[in-house]
Amino acid sequence: MSLRLTWKLLKKDLAMGPRSPFFLYALLLPVVMTVVLQFAFGSLFSPQPRLGIVDTGNSEITASIREMDGIDLKRLTNPAELKSQVEKNDLDAGLILPGGFDQAVKAGEKPDLQFFVGGESYASNRIILMVTAIDRLREVEGAVAPVKVNVVDFGQEGLPISVRLVPIIVFYALVMAGLFVPGSSLVEEKEQGTLMALLVTPVRTGNVLAAKWMLGTLFAAVMATVTLAMNNVLGANWVDVMVVVLIAGALSSMIGITVGVFAKDSTVLFGTVKGMGIFLFAPSLFYIFPQWPQWIARIFPLYWVIEPIWRVSVMGGSIVDVWSELSVAVGITVAMVPLVMWLARRMQSQMAAG
Amino acid sequence: MSRPVSRPTIVVALLKKELTAYSRDKLYLFLTILTLVAVSVLFQFLPTSVNETLTLAVSPSIQSMVSGAQDTLKGLGATDEQLSALDNADLTGQQEGLDLVEFGSEEEMARVIEGKLEAWRTDSGELVLRDKEAGDAKPENAKRLSLDIGIAFPANFIADVATKQGDIAVTIYSDAGVPAEIQGAMRSFVREAAYQLAGQALPVGMPAEDTIVLGQDRTGDQATIRDKMRPMLIFMILLMETFSMSALVSTEVLQRTVTAVLVTPAKIGDFLVSKTIFGTMLALTQGLIVMLVVQALTPQNWSLLLVTALMGAIMFTGVALLVGAAGKDFMGQLFYAMLFVIPMMIPSFSVLFPGTAATWVQAIPTYPIIDILVGATIYGATWSDSWGSLAYAAVWLVLLYGAGLLALKRKVESL
Repeated sequence: MSLRLTWKLLKKDLAMGPRSPFFLYALLLPVVMTVVLQFAFGSLFSPQPRLGIVDTGNSEITASIREMDGIDLKRLTNPAELKSQVEKNDLDAGLILPGGFDQAVKAGEKPDLQFFVGGESYASNRIILMVTAIDRLREVEGAVAPVKVNVVDFGQEGLPISVRLVPIIVFYALVMAGLFVPGSSLVEEKEQGTLMALLVTPVRTGNVLAAKWMLGTLFAAVMATVTLAMNNVLGANWVDVMVVVLIAGALSSMIGITVGVFAKDSTVLFGTVKGMGIFLFAPSLFYIFPQWPQWIARIFPLYWVIEPIWRVSVMGGSIVDVWSELSVAVGITVAMVPLVMWLARRMQSQMAAG
Repeated sequence: MSRPVSRPTIVVALLKKELTAYSRDKLYLFLTILTLVAVSVLFQFLPTSVNETLTLAVSPSIQSMVSGAQDTLKGLGATDEQLSALDNADLTGQQEGLDLVEFGSEEEMARVIEGKLEAWRTDSGELVLRDKEAGDAKPENAKRLSLDIGIAFPANFIADVATKQGDIAVTIYSDAGVPAEIQGAMRSFVREAAYQLAGQALPVGMPAEDTIVLGQDRTGDQATIRDKMRPMLIFMILLMETFSMSALVSTEVLQRTVTAVLVTPAKIGDFLVSKTIFGTMLALTQGLIVMLVVQALTPQNWSLLLVTALMGAIMFTGVALLVGAAGKDFMGQLFYAMLFVIPMMIPSFSVLFPGTAATWVQAIPTYPIIDILVGATIYGATWSDSWGSLAYAAVWLVLLYGAGLLALKRKVESL
């Protein structure tokens, strides 16, 4: 197999690649996923209690709660709207503070507290919001607590969901750039007859597949790195990260080449990837749900690259920490080569048969 | 000489052709079955309960604090009224949303929260501590407790607060990962308990509990992830058939087999009707299988669910016709399909969020479909509850299906 020919083919693919819709998808998807998952769904898995307040008298309670961490405060102007939103579960609880409320509390007039909770709000959120509101009332009253409360924290804060979502976004970067781009490029060459035209020149099938594999590897590594950077998890250990994402790209691209050689046309390519979707995606879910039995994730091939990316890029580890996972990833990649070669021989026979 | 053939006969013949073509594609057939199996398996692993309880460790036990206070207060000359008030004080009373785990020792509680000891609760309610590093065996018939936060009261807390002693300190032990609002609420909780024990009544009038809950009180009966995924899976299966159907349509257009069909007695109308029926049945059949697998159908909602699934299937078939007609090749068709399908998926994610979807989400054509599915499968909505969404869905259905028919008709005529 000529390296010079492979290099020429790679240059051709790099030049022609951007014309493919998948190339565009691979470029755009990590950006879109980052925006959607981080901004829209970042709060999904760690929801904060939601409190609505109608405050017509500029109460100190509103100002105090606004400064608190962990409570999602929404100010409304209409009590009926507040009750409607609480009932529809747009808010967990609502508090109506009429004009002169603070003065009445300070004067010891014991005004009625207008506090409402939604039927669908969680019991824990009800407790948090009610207890918090009462504590703020005591502040307004000017009472001095008969007890001093000290807090002792253990350990380090858990990872926020925005970080635990990173493996999902990296997964999409790897699959689109590493799997779909080389796979679809190969299938398009088959469909348009350019592969057949290439093979009547000194180019061998091995050159074509190696060039496509390198294209996917490089593109996946670049897109994974860009994705990590966009999500602020690309640390100082960038050399280690580069090695990890290159191996990740190599494995993804090898899967893409396998599917591309197997698929006789674009429909089959897409259908195969669609069918493999859950199998490929599954390991990413274990970072969102760390309470799941983690050993299950090891069943899936992309675990062996997503886990090193997680530990090296997100957790700041080094290559040494993940050498066993990377060895398995390289092992899977190498083990797929005979399969690709067998499928390639079959493909050539089919093409020869017309 | 050929005898005239009725339109239904032609449509049936075209449907047979579609079915034969589909069943010959073993890969698609295999993938369809694989997807259905994967959905069924995934569904079985989804959580079936919602944890809406704060688990709180306390030391010493409430009983020991109360009895200790009785003795101390008696010794200090407390009156019977004061002791009675102590008995009635709701210090850390069991209530919905709060699970109290009592420790005899502050040190043990702190070690559990720090993660150096494991706390288990047996079926009989007894607390068992396990030092895993020391080689303690797992206790039998017991469930491990997840304790992230605990309150250590001084032994004489009640008596000291009731007699207004100074310098009373309570320590809250917390894992650093405990959200700020829970830590804050625990501080407030301790302070309020102290206010009450010190005889300082609330500075406001509290409303009756039954008047403050708006809407149906679902405490203890919240929609679980499995409940929420039920309508989402049905919706996704229906929507995903847009890809398959648009691929079938575009193949027919690109390979111009449709022109071959049209030299027979079949007309464009027959072709469009057969595509509509096949696409709808393809999506609806899979939707029905998923409904059965996820046990969505009940005697109350089955008719509403079937009609909604049918509307969804026709709507997505319309989109598939539109996409299939627009694509110049498979990749182009896939590109168009993604452009339609990704925005149409957005309303289904609103199921996972509490409350009403944003206005822009409600404007997406698929919103009424998922809205009805959610209402019927989670909240027991009936026909009368859903007519508004049904009407809204019908409007989008007519628009999308009409656009799909028109686009494909013009495409076929141009061939």
